[in-house]
Parts: sequence; C-alpha cells; structure tokens
Amino acid sequence: MSIFVAVDQVDKIFPLTGGGEYVALKGIDLKIKKGEFVSFIGHSGCGKSTLLNMIAGLSVPSGGIVTLEGQRIKQPGPDRMVVFQNYSLLPWRTVRENIALAVNSVMKDLPKAERKSIVDYHIDLVGLRPHADKPPAMLSGGQKQRVAIARALAIRPKLLLLDEPFGALDALTRGNLQEQLMKICEENNVTAIMVTHDVDEAVLLSDRIVMLTNGPGSQIGQILEVDIPRPRKRMEVVEHPSYYSLRSEIIYFLNQQKRIKKLRAKKTAVIARHGLEKVNLELGFVPLTACAPLAVAKEKGLFQKHGLDEVNLVRETSWRGIVDGIAGGYLDAAQMPSGMPLWLTLGGHQNKFLPVVSAMTMTRNGNAITLDKRFYDQGIHTLDDFKRMLLGSPNRQHRMGLVHPSSMHNLLLRYWLAAGGIDPDHDLSLQSIPPAQMIVDLQKGTIDGFCVGEPWNTRAAMEGVGFTVATDLELWPGHPGKVLGVREDWANAYPNTHIALVKALLEAGQYCADPANEQEVRQIIAQREYLSTDMAYIHLGSSSEPICSLDQPMREFAHHLFFGDGVNRPSRTEHLWHMTQLARWGHTPFPRNWVEIMERVCRVSVFSTAARELGVLDVKYTSGSIQMFDGTVFTADDPISYLNRLNIKRDFSIAEVVLDAPRLAIAA
Amino acid sequence: MTVNTVRNAGANPLGLLSNFWRKQAPNIIPPVLGVLGFLTIWQICSSSGLTRLPGPLSVVTDERTRTLLMYPFYDLGGLDKGLFWQTLASLGRVAQGYSLAALVGISVGILVGTQPLVNKALDPLFQFLRMVAPLAWVPIALVALQQNQPAAIFVIFVTSVWPILINTAEGVRQIPDDYNNVAKVLQLSRKEYYLNILLPAALPYIFTGLRIAIGLAWLAIIAAEIVMSGIVGIGFFIWDAYQQNYVSEIILAVAYIGAVGLLLDRAMAYLQKVIAPTEQK
Repeated sequence: MSIFVAVDQVDKIFPLTGGGEYVALKGIDLKIKKGEFVSFIGHSGCGKSTLLNMIAGLSVPSGGIVTLEGQRIKQPGPDRMVVFQNYSLLPWRTVRENIALAVNSVMKDLPKAERKSIVDYHIDLVGLRPHADKPPAMLSGGQKQRVAIARALAIRPKLLLLDEPFGALDALTRGNLQEQLMKICEENNVTAIMVTHDVDEAVLLSDRIVMLTNGPGSQIGQILEVDIPRPRKRMEVVEHPSYYSLRSEIIYFLNQQKRIKKLRAKKTAVIARHGLEKVNLELGFVPLTACAPLAVAKEKGLFQKHGLDEVNLVRETSWRGIVDGIAGGYLDAAQMPSGMPLWLTLGGHQNKFLPVVSAMTMTRNGNAITLDKRFYDQGIHTLDDFKRMLLGSPNRQHRMGLVHPSSMHNLLLRYWLAAGGIDPDHDLSLQSIPPAQMIVDLQKGTIDGFCVGEPWNTRAAMEGVGFTVATDLELWPGHPGKVLGVREDWANAYPNTHIALVKALLEAGQYCADPANEQEVRQIIAQREYLSTDMAYIHLGSSSEPICSLDQPMREFAHHLFFGDGVNRPSRTEHLWHMTQLARWGHTPFPRNWVEIMERVCRVSVFSTAARELGVLDVKYTSGSIQMFDGTVFTADDPISYLNRLNIKRDFSIAEVVLDAPRLAIAA
Repeated sequence: MTVNTVRNAGANPLGLLSNFWRKQAPNIIPPVLGVLGFLTIWQICSSSGLTRLPGPLSVVTDERTRTLLMYPFYDLGGLDKGLFWQTLASLGRVAQGYSLAALVGISVGILVGTQPLVNKALDPLFQFLRMVAPLAWVPIALVALQQNQPAAIFVIFVTSVWPILINTAEGVRQIPDDYNNVAKVLQLSRKEYYLNILLPAALPYIFTGLRIAIGLAWLAIIAAEIVMSGIVGIGFFIWDAYQQNYVSEIILAVAYIGAVGLLLDRAMAYLQKVIAPTEQK
C-alpha cells in the first residue's frame, strides 16, 4: 500500500523565554500506510504530543514537512480530527449538540435530515443513546471520551489522531473503550495515530509502535511491528507469544531512556590514580550465578586492592542492556556471554562493526537446557525423543527461549538441536527473552523450553515447571560461559586499568573456586544487589541435596569453573569456534581475515601480564582442539571447510571485515 | 404513593407551612435577629442623645416621612413625587447607561481579548480611566454634554463599563486552548466561532463583570444625582431632604437605595444562573 502520512525530516524548536531555544524533536522520519494504527510512546516531555500536533496541523514544524496523501499539512482541518486527552467537549452543549456542531460545520452540503442521521448513527455507535440530550457535565469520564470519539468519527476524517485518549480513565473503563475503539477502527478501516504512555495499550491497539527517545532533540529510537493478528481481544492478546516480548522490549526501551537521562546528568570525568589511567569504572553484569567473580571482587574489596577505587557494578536485566551500555559508551567493561565480543566486532549490533576485546574468560560451565515438565511426563527424556515429538507435530509452533543471539546458550542450544538433526530455525522458533523472564514464560506455556545460565535451570526444576534435559557435561564440558569484554578503544586508552581489572577478577575467581568459600559466595550473590533470590536456587556446582524428584537418574550439574588451568586464559580456538557458529546460523558473516579478527579480539597479552603480576604463572595454557559431545573435534586449522562440512546451517557469508585501525579513545 | 403525598399536602396546607418553617427557620431567624439587633442599638443610641441622628423609629414617628412611607406612588407634578417614582426615575437612567455600558463593554472586551495588539495599545488607557471616581466624571460630563439627563447617563456608563470590558477581555483570553483547538480542527467560520465557542466560553466572566457593574452603576447614579440639581431621582431627593434638614426622610431613602441595590444584584445573579450555569465538575 502507498504512503498515506509522511513525516519527513521534521524538527521542532521552541523559543525559550530566556532567549534561547529548546529543540524538542530532531530529524523525525516516519511513513504511515492507510488503515494502519500507529502509537507514539515515550517518556513525558519527549515530544510525542508535539509530533501529533504537527500532524494535526495545530503546530507547524520548524524544519522538514508533514504530508497527508502528498499534500503538505499547513493548518488544522477536519480531515485530521483529533481526540484530545481532556475530551474538549463544549460544556454548554449536549452530547447531541456537540456532535452536531462538528457534523454541521464540516458537512454543510448535506441535507439537514442526512446530517441528523449521521449524528444519531454515531451516538448509537458509541452506545450513548440514553445520554444524547445530557450536557457533558452529567457524563462520566469514559462516556465523555466516547462522545469525543463519536464526534471525531462522525465527520469521517481521513486520519484519526488520539492524544492519550484513555489517560484519565480508570482501568475497567479504559479496557472497554480500547476494545470499542479497536472494533470501530477495524470496521471502518480508520487510519489512526495515538499518543500513549501505557505499554499494554500500545501493544493491544497498534500495528506499529514508534518509540521516542528522551528530549531535548528527541528522535525515533525504535519502531516495533506488532505481529499479533486482528481482530484482537484484550484478554486473548496476552496469550500471544509475541505479547510479552513486545512488552518487555518497550519497557526495556523506556527504562533505557530513563537511565541514559540519569547518566547524562552524571557525566563523570575520568579519574586517574595509582598509576592507572582510570579508577572510576562502571561494570555491567546480568544477575546470574556466573556473576560471582564480579560480586566477590566488589564485596571483598579486590577492586580497591588493585587500585580501582571507584568501581560501580551496574545490574542489567538482559544482555541487550550490556550491548547498549558498551555500544553507548556508558559502561567501561562488562561481563559478556562468550560470543558477544566477536558478535559486536563482526557487526551483530545494528550492522555496525564495534571492535570489542576480551582478555579473560571469567567462568566456564553453568548452563543447561530445560524443557517443559509436560514433555517429561510424555516420556520425552532425550534429544531423540524431542526430535520425534517435534517432527510428529508439525502443525504446532514450538518455541524455545534463549537470552541473546551472541550468548553461549544460543550457540549451544542450536548446536545441540542440530546435532540431533533438528533445524533450530525451521523445526521450531527461538526467541530472545531476558533470563529472569524464562520461568514465567515456561509456566505460561509461551515457550516449550530454554537454554539459560544458572540459577534458572535449577529453579525451573525445583518449582516443577521444567526439567533439565542436557547440562554442560553432556554438551561441552568446560565450555566458556562469560568473558570480560571492553571496547577496543577503551582497552587501548587505559591499558594499565585493563590489566588491573583482570587481576582483580582473576583473584576473585580464585576465591570463588575455593570450595571453602562456596557458602559465602552463595550468600553474596543471593543479595539484593545481585541475584536477589533465595540461596537455595544458587549452586556453584553439583549440589549435595537432590533438587528434582524425577525418577530418572539425576543429571550431574557441572561445577562452575571460576579459576584454574586453562580456565581464564582467553582461547583463540574457542573464539574461532564462536566465529564459525555465529556464521553458521547467519548471525554475522564469517570474516575472510579471521586470523586478524581473532588476534584483535583475543587479548592474551593482557591476561598474561595480569597473571604474571599476580603470581599465578602456573595457570597453564592448554591449547588445541575442542571435543564436542557429538564426537566432532574442532581445531583452529580450517574453519571454512569445517563450516562447509556441517549439515544443518544457514547460508553463511564470507566477507572481509575491515575494522577501523585501532585508535585511542579520546578521553571525554 | 406519589398521589397520596400530593393529596395530603393539598388537604393540609397548614402542615405544609409548618414543614417549610421547620426547614427554613435556621436560614431565616439569624438574619432577622441581626437586623433587629442593629436597629435596636441604633434606636437606643439616638434616644439616649448619643448622636443627633434620629433613630429608625423616626421613619414612622415623623409625619412627613410617614406620608412618604405610606404613599410611595403619589405624584403632585414637578419634583414632588412619591419615592417609588423617584426610584424609578433613577432606575431608568441606570438602565440606559448600563445597557450602553454592557454593549460597549462586551464588544470592546471581545476585541481586546482576541487581538493582543489592540490590547497592548488600549490597556494602559483603560487602567487609567478605570481609576477615575464617578463623582469626578460629573463636571466633565456636564461640560461636555451641557444637559443634566445625558450627563447622568454618561456617568453611569463610564463607571460601569470598565468591569464589563475588563472581565470580558479576560474571559476571552481564558478560553481553554482545547475549545480553540476544536474550532481550528473543525475549521469553524468566524461567525460560528463567536456564537458557538467564544461567547459561551466567556459567558461566566462576562456575567461576573455585569454583576460588578450593576452595583457600581447604582452607586454612581446616587452620586451623580446629588450633584445634578433639579431632576427627579432618589439621589436628588436625598440632597433636597438634607438641604431642608429632613433627616428621617434621608434614612427612608437610604433604605430604598439599599433595597434596590440588593434587588438588582440578586436579579443579575438569577439571570446568570439561568443563562450561564456554572459547570458541575
């Protein structure tokens, strides 16, 4: 369908009383198709109402143009009727007279009887016949808004503009009105734009959700397509598998905006001390058992010990937060899934190459694949059983959750499925969900299983909603879990800080690895600032007490590895394995210059220096091959022919990845 | 049930009355007591010789005044008329001046309210003229218009026009943006806008102005008539009585003035209630 409304490079600047100016909106580009329902969402003051007013013609853009069917919008008109937040009914006119005023002034040419029937029709449409002759003051808020909607629809606008139409209503009324509005819009094929700050409302009503960043200079941060089929019902929509991911996407975006605002206000300068270039660090982590080294380093004062006086741990609920923090430059370093440095470097994030380096593997193991308990009850205990079940029910869309495309979970899950002959993209669908959301989704049945780090597998088993079908031991014992990642320019600008950070974390890993400290470590990471969960769910290794009551012999959980021979040193072979797997599933291209990429991402020298200065030189490097559970052995010799040999894979591309020359970060 | 109630009420008007009394007594007794108390103190003060001002009873005891009190409708020609006619003459002047003030005040107020430029140009002038006391206008009016009658009407006009004008202008400025936006989106014509949006929206403000103005107009007429000798009117009546030292007549006239002022205000309030009821939120 052709473009109906076009917002083209629109800016809006308000003059301030002090003489300056406030840039409300900057460079807004948006195309809306006929019959589409689009929502604007964002924090207060982000300019969403301003944008709506410009489409209405009530205010004029300072730059750029807004068009409706190719015609430039210069002034308000009845073809773009607005439903205002506070109803804007004329209190001295009755319901009927309010609607009639609009109809009579817009449809002057129609005979009187016809205009009257239009008014009556729309009064009936919103079910206000008994109240037609009452003044608005005698109506409830919901009824008033219905009058406003009826008035807007009565003049047959090409475009319906709604400015927080249900903002002032109670939840019950709002729900009813949302359904009515949806029905009317669908039946009359109305094109509508709605401003809202209600996330659920946006998901329920919209075809697309336009999310605006915070002002000044607000822009469109992201546009979400809502793929929930119509007609939608308020109660049924929540059961659609996309609902919660859309919802969490929006909430994530809004939270992110709030945080960016806070960080903008903070804007800390670099503090150099003790011969380190920067001692005030913001370190990102996701609350998982694997965050133990960070938590321990913080709680046991290991950062200070190595000169990093002002380390602040930033808890992110999902890996996306880490990606945005590193890409946006407000995290100095972060705990990352082992594939993330490569994924970012190879352009996984918004197709931009963002060189990120890793000088340390912080943890190994600690992952597992969990399936819905009902599969267990159906006798599905192994990968083969699972495959048979999947192939036996092709009509049902099966879904599994994972935390991030670049994480080991995704790669392991896909590897595991593919090894069993299941195509992870065709035979089922994989969905990115924040770790903490997994169990809820599994409980609700929106996903059939997941691959995630601890404590979530243990927790699913303990709560009886899922069972662990495979653990590290069965997949790849000792596989890398989380690594330390920093931007390359950061690493180049603060080399000594980087080494100090690795030293602190290495020492923390050593502390975690000591079985004598297990109880204390569990206690630390169960705290509010970290996992904020019951200690019973947290296990660093195989627990002594049984945690599930399945009659099948209990699967052994591999112990989290925090320190030891070959545990922490970044391994080129492993990074290469990630590179091949990311390419295998089409996440990133396989770089023709893979050796160069591998050398740049894998900062062994930083690790070696840190280990030497810490006096743990006995940490040996066990190089070589990776032995997978399906019997294949991966070596760093010929990755491309390895890729070609694989049966189940996407059409991967091989490309020369040209990164900018390593450069120093300009200290802000 | 309803029928029964009606029949009962009809059959027993006495019961209805006592019912009314029971309900309204708390509203009636205190003001009556207050007025009676005031009059008693006043009477005591004058009877005891504390003040030379006659007491309220003199209105009845003084023979001339009693005649005036009992026969408000007599008319012996010339200036010798009953108090009703005197009051009516004054009211007539007020009606003319006030109508003129309302007409000019509302229309100029709308102009000033809608055109910021005009407002900027005229506002200082309005604020300046507004401060001039009604009495100060009397000589100017007499010089300018040469005759008593038009001069009196002009004084009424010039006293009462400001609150109407200023309130109307404010009312127009205070029209919520929402209503104006509705008008803009619907592309109402100028006439439709004035009739359907501007006037109804500004009406409460206009009425506030009108209500203040009616009080001022009534005040002004007395002042104006006192100065302008030789016309029929309650103001001049007082002046005349003072000249001849009929103090109790003045007291009676003052009672008339107060009562009429009260009635005018109440009438305005009633009109406002009928035409522009305040919106219940």
